Amino acid sequence: MAVLHAWRSARVTPLGELYAPPRVTAALIRLTVQVVLVASLWNGLYQQTGTTAGLDREQAVTYAVMAVLASRLRELDQYAGRDTVLQHMHFGTIVYWYLRPLAPQRYYALRALGEQLYGFAWALAGLALCLAAGVVRPPGSAAVAGVFALSLLLGQLVLYYVMLVIDQLCFWTLRNGAAMLILVFAQNLLSGVYAPLWFFPDWFITLSSFLPFQATLSVPLSLYVGRIPLSDAAFQLCVQACWVLVLALFTRFLWRRAALRVVSQGG
Amino acid sequence: MNAVRIAWRITRLNFRAQLEYRSEFLLMIAIGAVWQVSVIVFATVLLTRFTGMGGWDSSEVLLIPATRMLAHAIFVLFLGRMHGIGRIIQEGMIDTYLVRPMPVFRQVQLSYFPTNAIGDLTVAVGLMVGALSRSDLDWTAGRITYLVVCVLGGMLLEAALFTAVACASLRFPAADYWGRWLEELLGTFGSYPLNVLPRAVSGFLTFGLPLAFVAYFPAAVLTGHGHDTGVPYWLAAASPLLGLAAFLGARLLWRWSLGHYTGVNG
Repeated sequence: MAVLHAWRSARVTPLGELYAPPRVTAALIRLTVQVVLVASLWNGLYQQTGTTAGLDREQAVTYAVMAVLASRLRELDQYAGRDTVLQHMHFGTIVYWYLRPLAPQRYYALRALGEQLYGFAWALAGLALCLAAGVVRPPGSAAVAGVFALSLLLGQLVLYYVMLVIDQLCFWTLRNGAAMLILVFAQNLLSGVYAPLWFFPDWFITLSSFLPFQATLSVPLSLYVGRIPLSDAAFQLCVQACWVLVLALFTRFLWRRAALRVVSQGG
Repeated sequence: MNAVRIAWRITRLNFRAQLEYRSEFLLMIAIGAVWQVSVIVFATVLLTRFTGMGGWDSSEVLLIPATRMLAHAIFVLFLGRMHGIGRIIQEGMIDTYLVRPMPVFRQVQLSYFPTNAIGDLTVAVGLMVGALSRSDLDWTAGRITYLVVCVLGGMLLEAALFTAVACASLRFPAADYWGRWLEELLGTFGSYPLNVLPRAVSGFLTFGLPLAFVAYFPAAVLTGHGHDTGVPYWLAAASPLLGLAAFLGARLLWRWSLGHYTGVNG
């Protein structure tokens, strides 16, 4: 029964997407065009350059295209379904999260899981097509593929917790629109979505190593393209696991504190 | 005159409303700035790692993001509420706008104060000053005038693109999704010479989605690369006019779309 309830909660946002064909079509077109544009850009940039920042043309294109595909993992529009923490805080409906026979933290986690699985299906289909078309190159070995999969899983967990922290911010600030935009910026910049982190100056790479963002995308993709050798993978996976643990404990603490701030109408 | 006075009063009220949440207000200014900084970071990384991009030197390339970002910042300040209009439509607020004695387009623009534009504008002006100081060009009155006109043309072109998306949102509120992508495309692909891309792709970004006219063509004309853009020189030089024409066309489309808008009550 618990599994059935979990399944019903997890599928809410994906179902909302599937019931809006224009949105699905738009996502498909956007992803296709973005992949073509990004691949063209990096191929064009590398025309007069050999290896730079330790990445050759194939590695850079693979990294950039996979970063675009990974952006689909958590891109669903919960706002349209009026089910963001921000909206619930604004309309006062957050109290219902605390009246259901399902703990709010579990409900939140299940919704996120559903979104990430749905996004993962998109990313996986995109990757298969890109591999078939020769746009990205396959992983160097089965071991690289395995380490990449594990690192990507840990990276998605880090991303989930980081986004949860921003949502939990609403319990104290009521609004988190600007914080969310700053997070998106920081996430894109420090995880290497705009450009692989390896292209940035050394001080920037050092700075980002102290933050959780590069654990979300830069590490898994660098492992995939071979910029981080397998011999360093264990250390990187440990760092990712540490971020997961720290953020899990922190968000657990915040959920407890947040519950104390929720007051239903009438006190 | 009366319309200007009303618009000014509403803007002042909107500004005060934004101040209600002080931390959000300050964060919104910050986000405007960091969003622009992200474009600078991307352009700087590319310029540092891939020198001589498309046959342009770095000071010339810098003029492209500077022009685009300034045009974008002015767009956000004056006409930016077209972006994200899907929410206004989804929440049925557009139905209220229709019965008020003020043009709907103006009401949308006056719906809230764009706090992030303060940050946008600050960074964009800073980058433009930096780009001009690094430039080896002789900045005659004619060149400066052309640059100013190009910035305004870029703003109008961006406004036209977002107005077209807004028109689609009147029919399909989910079309707002395209607006977010459009903003991303403008930020990512509007900041460097498009001749580094394959011809088909640069052609798409010129004639399919005309972002080349926002900053790339004007910067090419100013820096003497106007003949190497892949389009006739006169077309590249006429970018600001195209922006104006596109905006007028988008306004006509908006009027037509609004006339065919059907709310939930029919």
